[in-house]
Amino acid sequence: MKELYKQLFQKHVTKDNVSYTYMDSIQRDIAIGSWEVNLQNNEVTWSAMTKTIHEVEQDYNPSLEEGINFFLEGYDRELISILFNRAVNKQEPYDNEVQLKTAKNNIKWVRIVAYPVIKNDATQKVIGVIQDITEKNKTLFELKLKEELIRTTFDNAPNAMALVSLDGQILTSNKSFSDYLGYTKEELSGFPINTLSHPEDVDVIPQNIKDLIAGKSNKFQCEKRYIRKDKSIIHCLLSVSILRDENFKPVHFISHIIDITKRTIANKKVETLLKTTKQQNERLLNFAHIVSHNLRSHSGNIQMLLDLMHSEIPEATNNEYVPLILEAVHQLSETIDNLNQVSTINDNKEQDLQRCNLLDFTNKAISNFSAEIKETKAIININIEQDIYVLAIPAYLDSILFNFISNALKYKQDHITPEITLSAEQSDKFVKIEIEDNGLGINLDLHKDKIFGLYKTFHNHKEAKGLGLYITKNQIEAMHGKVKVKSKINKGSIFSIYLMYETN
Amino acid sequence: MKQIESACLIDDDHIFIFAAKKILLATDICQNFIIYNNGADAIEGLSEIIKTGKNVPDLILLDINMPIMDGWQFLDEFIKMKYPKKVTLYIVSSSIDPVDIKKAKEYEAITDFIIKPITRKNLINMVATVFDKEQD
Repeated sequence: MKELYKQLFQKHVTKDNVSYTYMDSIQRDIAIGSWEVNLQNNEVTWSAMTKTIHEVEQDYNPSLEEGINFFLEGYDRELISILFNRAVNKQEPYDNEVQLKTAKNNIKWVRIVAYPVIKNDATQKVIGVIQDITEKNKTLFELKLKEELIRTTFDNAPNAMALVSLDGQILTSNKSFSDYLGYTKEELSGFPINTLSHPEDVDVIPQNIKDLIAGKSNKFQCEKRYIRKDKSIIHCLLSVSILRDENFKPVHFISHIIDITKRTIANKKVETLLKTTKQQNERLLNFAHIVSHNLRSHSGNIQMLLDLMHSEIPEATNNEYVPLILEAVHQLSETIDNLNQVSTINDNKEQDLQRCNLLDFTNKAISNFSAEIKETKAIININIEQDIYVLAIPAYLDSILFNFISNALKYKQDHITPEITLSAEQSDKFVKIEIEDNGLGINLDLHKDKIFGLYKTFHNHKEAKGLGLYITKNQIEAMHGKVKVKSKINKGSIFSIYLMYETN
Repeated sequence: MKQIESACLIDDDHIFIFAAKKILLATDICQNFIIYNNGADAIEGLSEIIKTGKNVPDLILLDINMPIMDGWQFLDEFIKMKYPKKVTLYIVSSSIDPVDIKKAKEYEAITDFIIKPITRKNLINMVATVFDKEQD
């Protein structure tokens, strides 16, 4: 024993040339220092490690007061003073964790242990150890902080969260969870979570839960309904994950719920609205179809009968009335045809757009008007490159070009040679086709809103029906294009048509 | 002008039947008419006629929209029949629905699709087609 003691306190020289006792070495390795206060002479002895903890020089020897003053002013220092006095006077040992400020002004956490040494009922010495626990405490604090962070996040998360035991009982839940379901946190604790489900949705997840426990999946998500305490239903997006310990053994579930009631209701509303619109649209199409078809047969029959009457009993038709009736029937038929044309635009929307050469289509459209062009001596300028293609339904493109050219010729100014310029340029998104004339023009201040309206006419022209521009606009839009107009009375009009093109 | 043996009109619209008959009579092409007001009656009646072999129509004018059995259903049955001679079949309808017109092209039996109202000129053209066929 004596030999061991001797060995422990025998000085030896370390590689950095400082001599230590073996005890000092041990103390240093475990970061524990020893100290002693001799009450007889108030002498304070610190071991090398104790000095290292205090960050003082190894030749430093403190007084009792100096020693106590290393502890942080306030709570820590007062606590140590009281405890030390108790150890001296009441012979009570102590073991506390306190903070001190080293000679280099670093704050450290230390564990200080003290034992009074008693002889003849009087305290002779107080001996003890001091351990630097700053690192340990730091880790602890960090852990505590993390825990706090998680707890605060959990408690204040905008989404409802609950920890659920493997047998389905709520272990704990956050405020949003309570808010969602209308129960207090206390009411929910220990509550089987399944009883909160909508009866029809109880069976939604058992297999998923089994897979989670079995480790086949880490989490799953589903939509389900819950019943609040007030019996109202909420639609939720539920996601469940599982917490496992280091042995991969399941510990509990983490259920995460997002209230999607509003979204669900809004979605349903949109769906209903869409359905209604679809139905109405279908009905409208049907209506247009039936009207045009049925009316066509009637007007056709009247025309046929009049035709027949005219050849069989001409004397009966040779009066003022029959020609007027015939004219009325003609107009009726025409109106019905127009109506039909309008109603088929939407029908054809599904048709595929095709790559059409604009110049070819333009030339074809113009060839329809060779008689008129000759008669009016109209000048036609075409500034369209051969390599411009547009994406269009060919029949629509024909009809659009036909209509615009027809209008430009129809609404010419008297005594002025009509001049029509067709040009095209390709931009980022569209091919812009311009059709410019020097005709009558349209008063846009007056007619801006209705220029493309159905049955709107702007001139007292015998052939003006107010249908062309309406159909044209609809056809352009059906091909995802647009049309614009600039016009001045007695100067002319420029129609700009924007059509898509194929980007290679 | 050469006459055809008989013409069959299948239409539920009696005004059309009346007028079409008048026109055909007036053109002096045809004196015999077989009239049916829907597809089902027409199938039944034509089956009987084929059995007896008398007055088998050379020309059929078929409406699409009819009660009980419409023009398309009639056609589906008609093409299964063993028709004893070449027949010219026209769809005569008020429909200007492109779907109908497209569908008509799918039937080989259909010569053409005529949109009502028919005129004297149409009808004479139709009958001319019948004679062309006979000369084949």
